[in-house]
This record gives sequence, C-alpha cells and structure tokens, in this order.
Amino acid sequence: MKSGAGVSRYLRLYRVLSQALAEGRFGAGEPMPSEPQLMKDYGVSRSTVRRALAQLEAEERIDRRRGSGTFAREQKDEAAASRNFSPMLDGAGRQTAAATSRTIASRTVPTPAFLPDGQAEFGTSVHLVRRIRYVEREPVALESAYLPREVGSGLTRQRLGTGGNGILTLLASLGHHSASLEREFVALEADPLAADSLELAVGAPVFSVRTLARDRQHHLLACVDCVYRPDRYEANVAVEIGDPKRRRRTDGDD
Amino acid sequence: MVPTPRSRRINPPTKDAKLTSRHLDKGVARYYRLYELLSTALQDGSIAPDSALPSEPELCARHGLSRTTVRRALDRLEREGRIIRRRGSGTYARTQRVRPRICLELHALSETLADLESRTTATTLRFDASVPVPQILRTIASELGSTAYLLERLLSNHGEPLSLTAAYLPEPIGRRLQRPARSQTSLTTILGRGRPATAIKCSVGAVAADAGAARALRVSLGSPLLRVRSVLVDEAGKLRAVLESLCRSDRLQLKVVEPQRRHPG
Repeated sequence: MKSGAGVSRYLRLYRVLSQALAEGRFGAGEPMPSEPQLMKDYGVSRSTVRRALAQLEAEERIDRRRGSGTFAREQKDEAAASRNFSPMLDGAGRQTAAATSRTIASRTVPTPAFLPDGQAEFGTSVHLVRRIRYVEREPVALESAYLPREVGSGLTRQRLGTGGNGILTLLASLGHHSASLEREFVALEADPLAADSLELAVGAPVFSVRTLARDRQHHLLACVDCVYRPDRYEANVAVEIGDPKRRRRTDGDD
Repeated sequence: MVPTPRSRRINPPTKDAKLTSRHLDKGVARYYRLYELLSTALQDGSIAPDSALPSEPELCARHGLSRTTVRRALDRLEREGRIIRRRGSGTYARTQRVRPRICLELHALSETLADLESRTTATTLRFDASVPVPQILRTIASELGSTAYLLERLLSNHGEPLSLTAAYLPEPIGRRLQRPARSQTSLTTILGRGRPATAIKCSVGAVAADAGAARALRVSLGSPLLRVRSVLVDEAGKLRAVLESLCRSDRLQLKVVEPQRRHPG
C-alpha cells in the first residue's frame, strides 16, 4: 500500500499503533506484531517500522526485547475512557473549573462560501470568533463561530472571557437561544491552524463537528465549526428508531 | 501561497495561523500546504481538466520547496486520481469527480435507512462465533460477554466503499442469525427481525485508518475516518448488538438535527 513518503509513513504507523495501545487493543505484557509482520501489513520498510517503534519505546509505552519481540507496557495515561473530555466540553451550563478557553480572534470577515444561504441570512460579512478550548490546560478543541454582525459585535473579549463553555452556551446566556441544532460530523486531516492549536502534527486525523444553530423563526443564529482532538472527544447521540405507527406499516420484511 | 477558501476547509487560513516549529513537522506542513493549494485549484477549476499543471521545477521555484516536497504533494494527488503524470510530457488535471455524498441522518434513521439500502450494497466479510470482544466495547456495553458473534460488513455505493462495520452480537442473538449473504438490508433491519431494536446510543469520533480499514475502504494508511460506536437495545432495554463502524467522511455524510432545550440561566 502506498501511503506517502518518508516522514508521513513513519508518523502514520506511529499514530495507528499509538491509537491501538491507547484503546487497550494490546494488554500490558501482550506481544505486539513482529517487525516483519508490521512491514507486511503496512507495506513499509524495516527502518520505518523501527522508527515508529523507537518513538513508542521512548514514550515508555512498549518494551522491545532482543530476540523475543515487542511487548505492550501498561499505558501510563489513565484508561482511554477517563481521558475522554466530552462531558467537560458538552456539559452545557454545568461548567467545571477544569475547562477554560482562550479567544484567538474576534473580528469581521467576508461571509464564507460554505455557509448555507450565508449571504441571505448574514449579508456579505459575518463576525468570526475563534477560541481554543482547554481541559486541564490541555488544548482539546478549536472553535470557530460565524455569527451575525449584530450578535458578534456584542461579544467583547471581556464577555467571551476564559470560561469553558461552548460559544452556543455563551450566546444563550446573552439571550440568543437556539431552538434547533443541526450537527454534521466529519473526520479530517488537521490543517496548519488546527494542528498548531491542538498540538498535533499537520495531517493528523481530527474530529470536526459543524453546527448550524437556528432560532424559533428558523433563522440562522450561528454556524460553529469545532475541531477536536480525536483522542479527547467524541460526540454522543441518542437515536430512537422510527415512530411505532410507521414501524408497524413499513416493517414488512418477515 | 495562501489558498483560497473552499467549502470543505476546516478553517480559512488567517493571519492568526502562526506556524511555530514546536508542534509541527515542517516537512509534513510544507507538503500539505502545496497539496491543499493544488487540490483547491483543481476543485474550483482554476486548473481546468486536461490542462497542464506547472512543472516540478516551476513548483519548486514558485513556492521555495524541495523536489521531494513537491513530489509528495503530486504523489498524493495522483493516488487520489485527480492528476495524471505522463513521463516526459508533464502533469495534467483529470476531470474532477464530484460524487454526491450519501447522507445518513441519525434523527430520521428509519427514513434515511430505506434510502441508504436502496443506494448501497452490503458485503459480508466475516461471520464467526466466539470472537473475543475488544475491551473498549465491553466497557461501553458490559452485558456483552468476553466473546460474541462477530459480523463484519462492508457497505459500498457503485463499487466504492463507504463504511466498514464490525457488529458484535450476544451469543443467543448471533446463533439465531443466519449468515447474511450479499444483501442490501441494513444491519438495523437484520437485527430488528422478530423484535425491533428501538434505541441506539451512538458515540461519534475520528480515528486514523489502520492496515485492515485502509485496505477495505481503499484509503491510505492513517487517513482520517469517522468512527461510530453504537449500542442497540430492544424495547425491553436488552442488548441486541454493539456496532463499530468506520466511515469515509468524503463519501458518507453523517448528520443529526436536534431540537434544543432551553437551558436554565
């Protein structure tokens, strides 16, 4: 399999193995695939495999024993689940001291082309607020909110503050309540800005949620692009399958 | 070399994108920027189909990049089938395929599943009893024992893979299930036979494609994939299955619309 040259191959293999270790796919003391096996599975050279393993070894996450192989060590990070900061980021209103934010931009920009009916809803320019959200001082999300100018201009840096709430919660506290949220989930490669903000390498996978918030009259209140570190956040969604009367009529597959 | 904004961009580049060497692998960053720039130009038609791209030496000179960096960007565009390189004559833009993405709306699952089934083909890759359940899935559904039936399926649309799903089924449910051969039926429907599954709890995130996923979904190793972990329960609240799906974000659009509660204060 071709997967880009040099640096990226080693980084990619490192990322995949690091992810598997963090998720406990290899228990402490369990053997990892051998070097020849990794070369075969991932179509990379011995030196690429060794570079990825050397980095994991330097991080004290694996043991390499001469003549006997590579073994997973007990992962120092707490279990993957406890490193998931979703509750701290989504807990609307219930702010925890561990969550903070820093505003890195707040200004008027031309209405971006990706906003649905952006020009009709917002006019030719919008207010952009860009913040980095932290949990326990670790950057977890890069939030870019596109707002109508009259809403955005009221968001002074002082109002934005350094609290851990998401921008929609902040807007609600100022009287701009969303009546419905449309969220789209996307897996992307980190661009230079996201990479720098979230302390990731450019091109590393990131989890992005684009939210369109509308008010009661169905007017667009905000478009929020939030890019998360995928090892620190996932979105929770509860789904009910169909309503009973529809199910009764359409489920005729028996 | 600031690229113009386009719709799939995470964030339009701005002057607050100060690049520090601390967190960035310089090589990756340079290659990625050129890749993005060319990718945008191909997508918005500034480089028209069949027209020539600037030569490698020209790209090196114009952007102050090494030959290796330029080649990496071009390699990737070639792999993605977006340019064609002809020995001795140069690099040309191919017709850019704009394939509408299949949309899955979680809030209207019954309706969108019907649409999804009519537009996609499911292939069973594996159906085995007594497969060890990964620890992480047992953490989210403790009712699932240490081993379960595993049903692995690939969903495709016009021969192009969309998603790879591993469904772990408790033993009694797995035993009743016949091997679903090539079928267009969605897993939720299959599992709903008899008693419908009525609620799904999903967690959605992103992961880097490992060797198996990269091969099945035809993406390169380490590419970003959406990961959806779902727990299906029946009306009585009993576990029916735990699903782990890896989806290509460029082919499958995953959305949810929720009415919003007013939060107090």
